[in-house]
Amino acid sequence: MKKLTLTIGWLYPTLMSTYGDRGNIIVLQKRCEWRGIDVKINKISINSKNEDLQSSDLIFMGGAQDTQQEIVNKDLFEKKGEVLKKLIDDDIPGLYICGAYQFLGKYYKTADGKELPGLGIFPAYTENPGKNSQRLIGNIIIDHDSRKIVGFENHGGRTYLETSGQAFGKVLKGFGNNGEDKTEGIIYKNSIGSYLHGPILPKNPEIADWLIKCALEKKYKEKIDLKKLDDSLAIKAQQAILSRT
Amino acid sequence: MPHIPIVTGKTISKISQITKRSGSTWPGHIALKIDSNLISNILKLNPDLSIVLVAGTNGKTTTTKLIQDVLETQGKKVFRNEAGANLLNGITSTFIRNASLSGRINYDTAVFEVDESSLPIVISELKETKNKTAIVLLNLFRDQLDRYGEVNTIAKKWLDSLQKLPKNTTLITNGDDPMLRYIGENSSLHAFYFGLSEKYMSKMDTPHDVDFIFCPRCGAELIYSKRSYSHMGIYKCPSCKFEHKKTATFENLPNPMFGIYNRYNINAAALFLQKSFGVSEENIHKTLDAFAPAFGRQETIEYKNKKIFLLLSKNPTGFNQSIQAILEQNKKPHVLLLLNDRIPDGLDVSWIWDVEFENLKNASQITVSGDRAYDMALRIKYAEIQNLSAIENLEHAIETALNKTPATDTLYILSTYSAMLETRKILTGKSIL
Repeated sequence: MKKLTLTIGWLYPTLMSTYGDRGNIIVLQKRCEWRGIDVKINKISINSKNEDLQSSDLIFMGGAQDTQQEIVNKDLFEKKGEVLKKLIDDDIPGLYICGAYQFLGKYYKTADGKELPGLGIFPAYTENPGKNSQRLIGNIIIDHDSRKIVGFENHGGRTYLETSGQAFGKVLKGFGNNGEDKTEGIIYKNSIGSYLHGPILPKNPEIADWLIKCALEKKYKEKIDLKKLDDSLAIKAQQAILSRT
Repeated sequence: MPHIPIVTGKTISKISQITKRSGSTWPGHIALKIDSNLISNILKLNPDLSIVLVAGTNGKTTTTKLIQDVLETQGKKVFRNEAGANLLNGITSTFIRNASLSGRINYDTAVFEVDESSLPIVISELKETKNKTAIVLLNLFRDQLDRYGEVNTIAKKWLDSLQKLPKNTTLITNGDDPMLRYIGENSSLHAFYFGLSEKYMSKMDTPHDVDFIFCPRCGAELIYSKRSYSHMGIYKCPSCKFEHKKTATFENLPNPMFGIYNRYNINAAALFLQKSFGVSEENIHKTLDAFAPAFGRQETIEYKNKKIFLLLSKNPTGFNQSIQAILEQNKKPHVLLLLNDRIPDGLDVSWIWDVEFENLKNASQITVSGDRAYDMALRIKYAEIQNLSAIENLEHAIETALNKTPATDTLYILSTYSAMLETRKILTGKSIL
């Protein structure tokens, strides 16, 4: 059997990595390595060239604090946005958490009413209802494809999907996109946008495997079956949250 | 007049004792409802009382205790608040407990550790004070983002509040931390900077637990020639002139605890003691030689004839520093990791993925427990560390980890706040709060 290789493009690892989201990269990397798949992690920062991003088979971008997000916003608009849009529209799988998820929508309306344009890739938009409104914080459980997904959310912005937008999951406990319509995240082509920290992948390894499988099948243009791994610890960690409700 | 709120506060304190409820915050809470200016009213009655506020993400309890110990050996009468009582109500309770019914305080100095997000509120109580006041800012790292919010926001609030203080207030802060230096330089107070000697720094890549890597003045990415840890070190902005400058490093002082992070705490306390009280380095040295760390911060406990080292580790930087400190002592340590997600710990446990647990790869054992034992177990599994066992029940976990630890060895327990209190209760049979 030929040796499979996978290049993961990690967007802004130092800037967009506040809430432990790099755990998602660790999980993707190890789950490939444990199956004998060679992984290359391509750290893409402000100084990186577009070619670095273009070589990605799978893309990840996490959330950050406001100051960092402003710097990233500028870089995405001036340099990398178009490439990223093309990759996503071309079915390159990716995971975009919190701030990254918001960036990929049409716009973000700040707490003081300023409307910042987004990359317009996802059919969604985000509004922050103002300084006096509550942040949406806490453990969250969603139903995705009849499987329970657990995580932790912490966001001020409320995201709304346009009619063409397909939610990543249905909220069973917690707030999700906006605390109103029970939707959480978005699935667009092979990309997932979501508010779930935790980080999301360690306790929900089937999502990690779905991303890996998608990326490999796209790259090698053939059906790929991933070897099953022992996920008993993930199930117990998930259970610890599920049993609280 | 502060008489009524003080009497009420003391009464509640008494009732709390009798009913065995927490007496460290309630009296202040109620007293403030009667007189919201209680602290400034008490201070007016006690113009000779010096006030020291110590804030920062990590090291508050150790630093306040150190300041108290040194001042007491200098013959000063000092009181301080308990670790869990570092919000405005806890500080008010501490004032009430140490004041007479008429509001007189028979002490020279009050040393308070103050919660990061409460610092501006506590400072606003002091803005018209004539009392001698000093503020010690230790560090600022991300911690419990679900509760405190983002560090940049806290930094901005700190600076805004410091600018309202009388200009003769002393500010002692960390010159190796770019944001704190910026705050110091823009506070318009008498600012002095402590730091670490370069011999404790090294060239390293940007770690995962950094918070301020951008110039606080102009926003350009800072260049570090050396770091001690996280975002602290020798930095320079390539774009504006903001840069690290000389700090007080107290190279001759001993470190009775381990870990370089405690050198920062020691240097913060020493600089404060020199600048505000003129204490000589020699006298600080003497106290350090006899210093016993505050509970759980770094504490050795003998239990069933075995040695246990307890280290409070509650955020990415704190955990990384605890791991480094353990490895300085033992390359193949026996480790018990405790992760809870209650209110004092922070509800979000995502941060464990920003900790370099990979550095424990040679550990003789890693046992994990706590409310979120399996989250921690997963983190260790993905760090590819062997000898892992996850045990939900805390007592059982401690027993198991101890049984695996040879009598000649030490069990290192790294724990979040609430799990540390529980552990201490199991090990010593006493509860502390």
